Amino acid sequence: MILRAFSKALIFTWQFSGLMHPDLNITLFSNYVRRLFNDVIYEGETMSLIEMKEVLKDYPLGKTIVKALRGINFTVERGDFLSVVGASGSGKTTMLNIIGCIDAPTSGTVKIDGNDITMLNDKELTKLRLYKIGFIFQTFNLIPVLNVRENVEFPLLLMKDLSKSEIRARAEKFIEAVGIKEFIKHRPAELSGGQRQRVAIARSLATNPDIVLADEPTANLDSETGESILELMKNLNEKEKTTFIFSTHDQRVLKYAKHIVRLTDGKISD
Amino acid sequence: MKQLIKIAWRNILKHKGKSIVIGTILFLGSFLMTVGNGVISGMDKGLQKNIVDKYTGHIVLISSEQQEDNVIFSQMGKPVEIIEGFDGIKKILDANNLIDKYLPVGKEFVMLFNEDGEPGYTLIMGVDFVEYQKMFGDNIVAEEGNLLKKNERGVLITTKQREEFYDYYNYWCVPENSQAVEKNLSEDAKLNVKNLNIKRDIVFMGFSEKNSALDIRTKIKGIVKFSSLNSIWGHINFCDIESFRECFGWVTSNDINAELSKGQQTLLNIDESNLEALFGGNMETIEDNTPHKNLPEDPSKTDSVKPNSFKNQADTGVRDSGAYNIVFIKLKKPEDIDKTIKELSVKINELKLKCRVISWKKAVGQIADIAAIIRAALFGFVMLLFFVAIIIIMNTLSMTALERVSEIGMMRAVGASKGFISGMFVFETAILSFIFGGSGIIAGIITTEIIAFQNITTSNDFLQLLYGGDSFMPLLGAGDVAAGIIQLVIVTILSMIYPVLIARKITPLDAISRE
Repeated sequence: MILRAFSKALIFTWQFSGLMHPDLNITLFSNYVRRLFNDVIYEGETMSLIEMKEVLKDYPLGKTIVKALRGINFTVERGDFLSVVGASGSGKTTMLNIIGCIDAPTSGTVKIDGNDITMLNDKELTKLRLYKIGFIFQTFNLIPVLNVRENVEFPLLLMKDLSKSEIRARAEKFIEAVGIKEFIKHRPAELSGGQRQRVAIARSLATNPDIVLADEPTANLDSETGESILELMKNLNEKEKTTFIFSTHDQRVLKYAKHIVRLTDGKISD
Repeated sequence: MKQLIKIAWRNILKHKGKSIVIGTILFLGSFLMTVGNGVISGMDKGLQKNIVDKYTGHIVLISSEQQEDNVIFSQMGKPVEIIEGFDGIKKILDANNLIDKYLPVGKEFVMLFNEDGEPGYTLIMGVDFVEYQKMFGDNIVAEEGNLLKKNERGVLITTKQREEFYDYYNYWCVPENSQAVEKNLSEDAKLNVKNLNIKRDIVFMGFSEKNSALDIRTKIKGIVKFSSLNSIWGHINFCDIESFRECFGWVTSNDINAELSKGQQTLLNIDESNLEALFGGNMETIEDNTPHKNLPEDPSKTDSVKPNSFKNQADTGVRDSGAYNIVFIKLKKPEDIDKTIKELSVKINELKLKCRVISWKKAVGQIADIAAIIRAALFGFVMLLFFVAIIIIMNTLSMTALERVSEIGMMRAVGASKGFISGMFVFETAILSFIFGGSGIIAGIITTEIIAFQNITTSNDFLQLLYGGDSFMPLLGAGDVAAGIIQLVIVTILSMIYPVLIARKITPLDAISRE
């Protein structure tokens, strides 16, 4: 707390001391200073994995502004299995996109593992997505020209800090875990929807992310496959302590959730 | 890197249609660029070979009084100024190690006299023909009659000029002691074969805006043809240097030393601005009974001539070893043109010689200009190909990028950087460029070799300029192939910039929005 107060005081002093040339971009500079202290401030402190404060998200739609999120405040702890529910257009996907660092809030703060994502540049956000977040999307899933193993290996290769054998071992471990080992050399076009979703899950887990974001993961699956995938995620959540956040309409998903966040018109209603 | 190449290669295979379209453009573009480079290079070398080796040498020395550089195809009536002090010039040319050989000549327009009709004009070059052959080899061949021998007087008419003389003045030139050869007659002459007005000698007179001198009748020794670019150089006829000097009144130093009568001296001393005095009542009648008494009996033995100003000659007392208005200079190494011009210019300035040196391109004037224009047009054509190829490839790649928003967005979502996405596109285009563009270059090289092997010849003026001679000899050196590769790389880079920018801008959100 003392350190945080000190850093805020420093930023304030820096901004208003008059030492900086007025033409300099003060916001950017102060952001830099804040980022500099970010790690120091949060190092060793107990904190939530995800923190959203007063998050607003507006989308311009022609001449009107659509308010997708209207002041979201909530936290997600490590190892949670959270389901975000709500009617279509309630802001579920927008919230997930912001948590996944693929969209930015109009205002408010979003911290992922202590990193204020509104302060990060594209390179840093990309790195954050690579190391801390796994995605399971509703429809767009896999790289069509790569086979199952190569798809799972893809983010591991991007990390550049793993050996070839380690990458291979990790990929095969998760492919086996999602039960598609026999399709390891198949390309996405040769797999069913459920199998593709399993590959996506394997890929999202292979990097050992802190958070897995799944946007309606069962929407395109038959009930049996959907159940088996949810079961798989539940097991991984329990074994690996991976945090799962779902957005869903599917009532079946809810029974797996530890917590449920209900969104109505861009606000948490429950 | 390996992953990038793998994804790029598989994307190429996956999008076969687009890959083939891009590949075909790259193939055709690089093929045409390579052949174009070969044509440009062949033309360059051809011009060098034909004009430099056979007509002008690398450097041309002219009088410092000469205003226009274009002394070969100068404007009619505009004389090419006479080079004074050739003795001194000869010394610096002999002393220069970069010079292989040189040939002084006289070149001017002459008036042709025709007993049966209007007078005409033609270009004539006075040379020591044996020396000319030493300098320029066998670029002139006798179609009828013979070439000029050592010290032989006479004129050589080109086939082109003979046809023009027939068209304009209605006579057909043949060498002395010979008849018209039917197979060599022009189409028009053939129609009138029985009534051809045959001429075996020709009367011409030096003619320019500055002077008109003696008319001389000279025997036609041969009808000649240039081995290449005859349609251009065929405007120039040849005669021995002494006949040339005589008809222009470039008199020998023997004339200079002549003792002039009082009357002649008075005439020479008349102020040029007061020529009316010549016709004044007080003018002394001039009796000149020995107009050419000082001309040597054998003009070839003359080693001293001087331009036609007796007055200046008398004043300066300079003795020249010959009067010429152009000196063609060949170098040991063609690349030394600029260096030699510089060296000679320094020497000329030091010794205060009344001459200057120019490159062959300046000396041939519009011929080099036309060649440069054709070359520029070819280069422009290649650039147009470049441009079209870039636009088509850019468009196709941009479409590919936009069609792959989901894939690219997903890659970005799972941690691929913008650099990775750029790399993917760069590798895709580079692989296509390497395979198809490389094949195009190889095909271009093979085609160029085949064309050169075919020895395609032409008598068309424009094509001769385009070919740099009378045969189409595209030529590809290592530099041209390297230029082709560089052009291909430039096309590849330029065509991928915009699609890469599009791809880099694709965000995971774009992918989701599209879904």
